[in-house]
Amino acid sequence: MRSGIQSPVYDKFAQLAGTLLNPSVEEWKQQGRRVMGYFCLFIPEELFIAAGFLPFRMRGIGSCGTAQADAYFDSKNCYFVRHCFDQALTGQYHFLDGLVVGTGCDHIRRIYDNWQHAPLKTPLLHLLNHPRTMGTPEMQGEPMISYYRAQLARLKERIENEFGVEVTVPRMRKAIKLCNETRRLQRQLYELRKADHPPITAAETALVMLAGTSAPKEQYNNDLRVLLAELVASPGIKRDYKARLMIVGPAIEDPNFYDLIERGGGCVVVDDTCFGARTGSAVVDEMSEDPLRAIAKFHVLDTVFCPKINGAHVQRIKVIADAIQDYRVGGIIGQGYVACDPWGTSYALLGPHLKAAGTPFLRLDREYVSTESGQLQTRIQAFLETVGGQV
Amino acid sequence: MNINPMDQPVDVYKQLKADFADLNANSFQGKMTEYVKAGTPIVACNDDFFPELFAALDLPYYFTVRQGLEGAFHVGKGPEAVDGYNELGGSSSLCSLQKAAAYLLARGLLPQPAAIVMTSTSCDGQTAVNEQMSNYKPWAAAAKISLDASFEKDEASMVYLGRQWLQVIPFLERATGRKLDWDRFKEVCEESNRQCELLFEFQELRRAKPSPVRAEWGFIAYMGVRWAACGKIEGTAWLERLFATTEQRVKDKKGIDGITEKIRYSWFDILPCWSDKLFPRLEQTFGAVNLVDLYGYNAPWPVIDTSTKESIFTSLAKRFLIGNPMTRQIFSLSSVYAGDAAHIAKNFRCDAMIMPSHVGHKDGAASHKIVKDMFRDLGLPFLVVGCDVFDERYMTPDVVFDKIAAFFEASGLANE
Repeated sequence: MRSGIQSPVYDKFAQLAGTLLNPSVEEWKQQGRRVMGYFCLFIPEELFIAAGFLPFRMRGIGSCGTAQADAYFDSKNCYFVRHCFDQALTGQYHFLDGLVVGTGCDHIRRIYDNWQHAPLKTPLLHLLNHPRTMGTPEMQGEPMISYYRAQLARLKERIENEFGVEVTVPRMRKAIKLCNETRRLQRQLYELRKADHPPITAAETALVMLAGTSAPKEQYNNDLRVLLAELVASPGIKRDYKARLMIVGPAIEDPNFYDLIERGGGCVVVDDTCFGARTGSAVVDEMSEDPLRAIAKFHVLDTVFCPKINGAHVQRIKVIADAIQDYRVGGIIGQGYVACDPWGTSYALLGPHLKAAGTPFLRLDREYVSTESGQLQTRIQAFLETVGGQV
Repeated sequence: MNINPMDQPVDVYKQLKADFADLNANSFQGKMTEYVKAGTPIVACNDDFFPELFAALDLPYYFTVRQGLEGAFHVGKGPEAVDGYNELGGSSSLCSLQKAAAYLLARGLLPQPAAIVMTSTSCDGQTAVNEQMSNYKPWAAAAKISLDASFEKDEASMVYLGRQWLQVIPFLERATGRKLDWDRFKEVCEESNRQCELLFEFQELRRAKPSPVRAEWGFIAYMGVRWAACGKIEGTAWLERLFATTEQRVKDKKGIDGITEKIRYSWFDILPCWSDKLFPRLEQTFGAVNLVDLYGYNAPWPVIDTSTKESIFTSLAKRFLIGNPMTRQIFSLSSVYAGDAAHIAKNFRCDAMIMPSHVGHKDGAASHKIVKDMFRDLGLPFLVVGCDVFDERYMTPDVVFDKIAAFFEASGLANE
């Protein structure tokens, strides 16, 4: 769904989001510079920027199937992982100079093993251990922060040694500021959606956010500032909708999923998804004397987590409660892939909680691509009918 | 209980099973109902880590996922629990055992704990149960601690987990009123060392050709000294008798009674709850003997170094992450998983490998190609089945049998 926005900057974002080897990546590579791919959100792109790399958040965009990947992963494995890996096997990730895989979930960490086994010839392949619990409140993130800092230090050393670069403290500080600026700007984008008539649709927002996963940060930030100025000056999309909604769950790459909801009469005003609002949920301490520790603390304690982290449910409840208040959300759609146990299980907690709170909740299991299914459409429309009267 | 292995009755293994049942009845798990009635503080855990600590504290504990076995599948209520979980709206792809455990939890059928100890192991499903336990309202008053285990297996990662466990002691003492006697703890650890050494030796015996016992004995031995009687001398004595009896069979070159061993294979996963509908049929039809499963695997059990408090916990971390089956194979690289399969194939002189590909084992499903390629290089027939080792409705034992039968025939093993 389009807002009717006439903006060359937005068009650029849409182009960046639409392919893996997008114009930004191509230009970057033509300059002889390096690209570092990474799975998932808790891998610090600040480190890669400080090392002179373009951080590239791994995606499966453009994938039409998983024929190649299915030799490595079976039907019990996550669609996102299979599509991403299929893209790699078919050569779409040839531009990577390195890949850092986090130990997040059972599916993603096996990308490391299979990447190595295939073998896909990426100069650097690294498995990064990320703590999977926030501990208890009394622990205040320790010893997880110290452990993750040590893991990051090891990765930093490896990058320095294998690529002959130096990741200095000033460079890291600069990278932290740059990434924080991206986070702040992205939050401003979401702020605009608090309006009765947001100036940008959910699908368009998704493309802007996705563009940020594969564009040089300076360029992205500059473009996003321009877009924000344009959106602030715009009157908002004049349309009637049945309900203001929040989308929760893992990665959504296909903007058609949002379109499906908005065409049915919903207005998606906020989300808690991997490529969405979770990206900019907090900032890294810019003043810390130890930038690496500041980054570690951010990823262990401060950011918003997905359910593979123990303790995330309590945090999610708060994120949702705040969103209901701030964005005047009338209903929640929890989406995910069939094989995703962390999200699937979390909905068994979230559903009853929202029901008790009187917040309408719809759970959708979906494919990674082809989200335009009639079945989904029917379920969404039925949900919107039930929510509609409450807004 | 006192049997001289040199003068064994014919049904000595029957007796050993009965004695195992006694050990189990006297374990924390076996006496759980009594503890609940007496109001004894109980600890709920998400995994079967560090039983030595609970034994030393004489602190009843259970690990939640195992309750799916004890409280559902072993009492014929597995399918009911699985369906009940599905109705709660959880993850449809979750391991059936975890579904059953989560269902029992949601229905208030698990003992109320005074404390909950959680780690980030072993699989997504297991850690998902952490969230269920942490947020289960009737358990809100229970003290909770959540620890992180690293996927790495280096010394620093072991120290990392070990040090977190050191914090668990004051936590448990506060929550349960128990006080750890370090001398007692050392005694338990030293007894546990003897047990693990013996366990390893017993699993080694099972490599003999013909196989002296069925694969189930690997798991029973594991349960005996890890779950039922960790650090208890009666557990060690039971395992010694099992070892001596089996050693005698090996010396006598005796295989499984009534079976002419023709095909030696490994079922590289958890033994199914419906084993009785599959393995005897394969024995009778093909002389095919399942030698070893994932739990009965002869994993290296690191010795607990009792010289300092920190060394105890660092080595317990090693034992948990490197020795403990499943944690070892799931919570590590595919190369460990595949390496263990290769180790089994070579050391047990297998003619074939069967990877059941249990529906809950996502990490295993993502390692098939790696394992398959390895077995192709080894020149050993290899089959991926795709079943649910707990809930037979996913793929019936008959269908699994047919698949394995076709595999034996296609690979020429059935005719040898």
